[in-house]
Amino acid sequence: MNHTPDAPALEADEEGFPTGDPANISRRRFLTSSAGVAAGAFVLGVGLPVGEARAARAAAAPMPAGTRVPAFLEIRPDNSIRFQSPFVEGGQGIFTAMAQIVGEELDADPSTFIVENAPAGNDYKVLSIGMRITGGSMSVRLSYPTMRRLGALARQMLLEAGARQLRVPVSELTTEPGRVVHAASKRSVTYGQLAGVAMDLPVPAPDSVKLKDPAQFRWIGKPVQRLDVHDKSTGKAVYAIDCRVDGMLHAAVQHAPRLGQTVGGIRNEAQVKAMKGVHSVHRLPGAVAVVAERWWDARRAAEALQVDWKAPAADSTARVMPADFSTKALAAQLERMPGPGENAENVGNTEAALKAAHKQVSATYHSQFVHHAQIEPPSALARFNADGTLEVWLPNQAPELFQGDIAKRTGLAPEKIIIHSPLLGGFFGRHFLYDGGTVYPQAIALAKAVGRPVKVIWSREEEFLRDPVRPMAVVRFRAGLDANGFPVALEAESVTEGPTEGIANKRGDKMDPTALEGIAGKAYAIPNHRIAQVYAKQHATLAYWRSVGNSMNDFIYESFLDELADAGGKDPFELRLHLLQGNARLTNLLRAVGELSGGWKRGPYIAADGTRRARGVAMASPFGTEVAAIAEVSIEQGQVRVHEIWEAIDPGSIVNPAIIEAQVNGAVALGLSQVLLEEAVYEKGMPLARNYDMYPILPLARMPRVHVRIIESGAKMGGIGEPPLPPVPPAVANAVAHLTGQRVRSMPLSRHVFKS
Amino acid sequence: MELHINGKSYEVHAEPDTPLLWVIRDELGLTGTKYGCGLAQCGACSVLIDGVVARACVLPVAGVVGRQITTIEGVEADPVGRRVVDAWVRHQVPQCGYCQSGQVMAATALLRETPHPSDEQISAAMVNLCRCGTYNAIRAAIHEVAGQAGKSSTALNEAAGAEDTGRAQA
Amino acid sequence: MIRNRTRVLTTLLAAGLVVACGVAWYVTRTPASPFDGAPAPQTPPAAAIQRGEYIARLSDCVACHSTPDGAPFAGGLEMATPLGSIFSTNITPDVKTGIGSYSLADFDRALRHGVARDGHRLYPAMPYPSYARFSDDDVQALYAYFVHGVQPVEQANRPTGIASPLNQRWPLALWNAVFTDGRSYQPKADGDALWNRGAYIVQGPGHCGSCHTPRGLAMNEKALDESSPQYLAGALLDGWYAPSLRGDVNTGLGRWSEQDIVQFLRSGRNAHAVVFGSMADAFNNSTQFMSDEDLRAVARYLKSLPGNPARDGAAWQYTAAAGTPPHPDAQTFMTRCAACHGPDGRGQGQWIPPLAGSAASMAHENASSINVTLNGSARVVADGIPDAYRMPPFRNQLSDQEVADVLSYVRTTWGNRGGAVKPEEVKALRERTNPASSNVIILQMR
Repeated sequence: MNHTPDAPALEADEEGFPTGDPANISRRRFLTSSAGVAAGAFVLGVGLPVGEARAARAAAAPMPAGTRVPAFLEIRPDNSIRFQSPFVEGGQGIFTAMAQIVGEELDADPSTFIVENAPAGNDYKVLSIGMRITGGSMSVRLSYPTMRRLGALARQMLLEAGARQLRVPVSELTTEPGRVVHAASKRSVTYGQLAGVAMDLPVPAPDSVKLKDPAQFRWIGKPVQRLDVHDKSTGKAVYAIDCRVDGMLHAAVQHAPRLGQTVGGIRNEAQVKAMKGVHSVHRLPGAVAVVAERWWDARRAAEALQVDWKAPAADSTARVMPADFSTKALAAQLERMPGPGENAENVGNTEAALKAAHKQVSATYHSQFVHHAQIEPPSALARFNADGTLEVWLPNQAPELFQGDIAKRTGLAPEKIIIHSPLLGGFFGRHFLYDGGTVYPQAIALAKAVGRPVKVIWSREEEFLRDPVRPMAVVRFRAGLDANGFPVALEAESVTEGPTEGIANKRGDKMDPTALEGIAGKAYAIPNHRIAQVYAKQHATLAYWRSVGNSMNDFIYESFLDELADAGGKDPFELRLHLLQGNARLTNLLRAVGELSGGWKRGPYIAADGTRRARGVAMASPFGTEVAAIAEVSIEQGQVRVHEIWEAIDPGSIVNPAIIEAQVNGAVALGLSQVLLEEAVYEKGMPLARNYDMYPILPLARMPRVHVRIIESGAKMGGIGEPPLPPVPPAVANAVAHLTGQRVRSMPLSRHVFKS
Repeated sequence: MELHINGKSYEVHAEPDTPLLWVIRDELGLTGTKYGCGLAQCGACSVLIDGVVARACVLPVAGVVGRQITTIEGVEADPVGRRVVDAWVRHQVPQCGYCQSGQVMAATALLRETPHPSDEQISAAMVNLCRCGTYNAIRAAIHEVAGQAGKSSTALNEAAGAEDTGRAQA
Repeated sequence: MIRNRTRVLTTLLAAGLVVACGVAWYVTRTPASPFDGAPAPQTPPAAAIQRGEYIARLSDCVACHSTPDGAPFAGGLEMATPLGSIFSTNITPDVKTGIGSYSLADFDRALRHGVARDGHRLYPAMPYPSYARFSDDDVQALYAYFVHGVQPVEQANRPTGIASPLNQRWPLALWNAVFTDGRSYQPKADGDALWNRGAYIVQGPGHCGSCHTPRGLAMNEKALDESSPQYLAGALLDGWYAPSLRGDVNTGLGRWSEQDIVQFLRSGRNAHAVVFGSMADAFNNSTQFMSDEDLRAVARYLKSLPGNPARDGAAWQYTAAAGTPPHPDAQTFMTRCAACHGPDGRGQGQWIPPLAGSAASMAHENASSINVTLNGSARVVADGIPDAYRMPPFRNQLSDQEVADVLSYVRTTWGNRGGAVKPEEVKALRERTNPASSNVIILQMR
């Protein structure tokens, strides 16, 4: 069906291409399955993703990642394009961005794309750092040229196929969206008609294709509509928790109260086994699972289990949670740990400059544990197949990493492990490999034990018990001002454990950059500064959280910077401009956000509705992007009300302004949620909050208006998903401090009552 | 037990205290309605019972026998629901999308009850949680359905706020 | 003159000394026990130990003498009092730290008279005024259980946090003299066997009056049996209002049938209510383990206690809320409460209790309404199975004003007459209470 009858010459070429031909098989499978996709039915068990089988060829014919066109693209007769995305869609809009980028060079309308998460495979390790993860706001900025080239290579193959079909030289052909055109003869043929042939042609040499002049971009840089919005507005989008295969059983777990504890005995196993719908009860590392015909039955039975938990072995090398751990005690312990720590930055002579300073300012700041609190609770579905393969459907931000981990756990070869990466119901850093924080080892163990596919869902309570948290830090500042009130020296000692250190459960050879980012790497010209980390293990399992170190450290640094401004009698906006002298990009950015807000005014002033308001400003440089935000706040019944957020963002250059605006809105919401409401409190080794009841997150009623200005400075492309968050908490805290005279050096602000 | 869902009848065999959520997800395969908290806190499981928004995770199934249940799979059959979905698409509301089934149901219920909600009414009624922070888009979409975007000044500001993307070449 | 005065003074001093000696004797004396001088009992048959375990269930010993993390009956539960914290004691048969050296008579004196083996007086947090009703047989059975059915655990008792001189125990003896009668239960001729059995359980081991009977100025229960209309008439204790267990139609059990009471105590729920607050603990650890016969007896007895219409008012009738909820309080109800309790406040069968007409919403005392809203309720575990639906704490989501507003709505709508709640009341309770754990907590007795 993909071969046109008038192109017999192609058969030989096709034969000559060492496909081992899974391609057509998988294409046909796809066609049979795609109806199911469109109807919103379950998409599982309907054949291999197109790239899967082709990826198996990779060893035989290694090609650079991101060049094996058929591993990524399948063009269907109706001209729709199935694209295997190397990056996982979790709300950040990457599927649409990929369709824009590839479609731009392929010359195909992004709206004709059907994008899926690609399976594991070397072809998809397209990041310029030689790997594949969806995180660090890296997807577009570190794969942009590669993905453009992929589109261009595919276009070239279609042109070649078109030349054969139209029997004209390639040089006479051009393309219009979705078709190859021979202008001279006014003939054209659609990509869909050519694809069967084109996709089996050899992929041209990667450097043989020329990329478009950005001035000619049709889709990149435009507010192209997202591809997944209708499905997501009508319940058709499929997440890991929705996946289902024939013969599947459901499972729920009861986790040990504290990480590291193991199962001693179960007092009422017989009673639980006799509960309705229960299939079996299983002892797992640090958990007991109930397998049942339905999840609700499994869940109730799992809650009913009366387990005697044993303390971890004294020589346990894994991270364990002490029975007496509390966040309050940890904060006190961090405060007591002395410096000087290990320097990440040491410029000038900070100690001498502090001594010589006209005025010294010091302060201690805290950051808190926070949950990811993505609305989709984690789940995993595992199935052992008769052919010796193991299929796992799981939320993840890095398929190959998970595949490797599963290989290690099961002893299976990686190629026997098929990773399915459904849409993520939010991630914010939740779905990396976290020891004790992932579901799939349980699903695999249970599927093996019962001999049937098993889907495990963690209840919200079990999730909050095992969700790894953003680290806590205590940051001690000392700064010196000169006679004119300008900072000349700044010292910051952060007593903390970086998330990377936490995940490794040890210090690395080098410092963990995610521990200090946002305190280190600031652009302000303070001639003497020392930024150091005092390593302090935290017992709770640690994680990356949207904007990682910046999410807390910019709150800490930018708040303290306002304290310096006040101590020196400077306006904080003007002080920042002063400290950025000669930095055109950031000066421009700061001025832009000021202008967006109608001109910088700090207040306090009385707004039209009679409320007394003030504004605060903050900046951050996360993930290669520059951001500045201004917040307007008032106090309502002792609590902070945020009315407006103005944010300017300079990611260098952009792909989709509408998605960027949405990401800024989302980052504002999460940043506000953190600064206003969130803290994961531990007592006796357990989190007090096991659901949203005790861990409230920002509701709609507290969402301010958000105004966005995107600046394309032309600098190297930066990230989008995370960068807009970090300046929001300090902008709010700075506004509150100015409005109320109360400088709060920790989050969340809801723990304080403010005078208006 | 017989349930009436989206205009169809289903015979189900759950224990009477099973939450409706798990009956429709696991027994009937209608997975558009999501599990988020199981505690009526997040709203991801919102459905309509006789046209009124309800949280399926805290509805014992025995209590909804004989009542008209609408899930997200049936929302487009409702004229208001249809307009809500259209507005959701026009305003490009969803990000990860996981909470959006519930958001659409909650908005549909609100607009059925209050065709022209004020900002305060939207804030009071739309308590479903969204971790991606799509709230301004939700507000704008609801205003659009209400046909009020141009009427009250606050509403205008709201809508403008959400759309207020400046863009500059430096 | 001077001499005269001196003589008067001397006389007074002498009299005082006599009284003081008498008091000193009284407050340190060891009360008598029918088991004094009884030979040390042999190891009792298993059936007696089992019966003792059942009585321990009726008496809910475990609720106070165990902690979720600790060994059964090893004590250590902190109880806040206005004077400072006290801690429940180790009642395992450990010789060093428990009651391993207690004779049956010693045990009896502690149980029924509130006097420890060394003669010190127990705080009446130990409900010995009620346990005084125990029959001799039941004391023996309970002793058999604690000596032979409980594992000894060496765990030292924690000293009280009450500072000197208020930590002196001897005044308690005087308190006992005034407020306890120390008599075991005497069957009433005008009640049948079932009623008498119910009276025995309710007044004695069940110690229902500890929470449900109002207390006097000295924290004494104002009545210990049905002879007073104050008995089980509802009381405020520890931030909860334990409602009337009498025939009050609004704030008591007037609308409940005997079968409703049996169902409530056996499964923790019926169409009128679900256990919450302190009653959740009483249910989890005690009432659900009662035999059907005993539950019927309790129901029979409680239903014999008349209500007090003068205090309780006219019978509640459901009135639909007027129109679409017009004000923010109603909106909070609709978004926070209605998902479970129903937009009409009528709850969902036996699974989620109604707020319309509930005792807590009808009672003038609003502590339970506030407390359960701020702190939620402990998991209800019936027959080993945790509840499908639980009440979450709202303390982290609603301000004092919002709680006051929404409760004012609840307590004045659908015919409810509990009345409005003030934000200061919410604030006060918020400061001295903690949220209920969402964990399933099962206190083991073995």
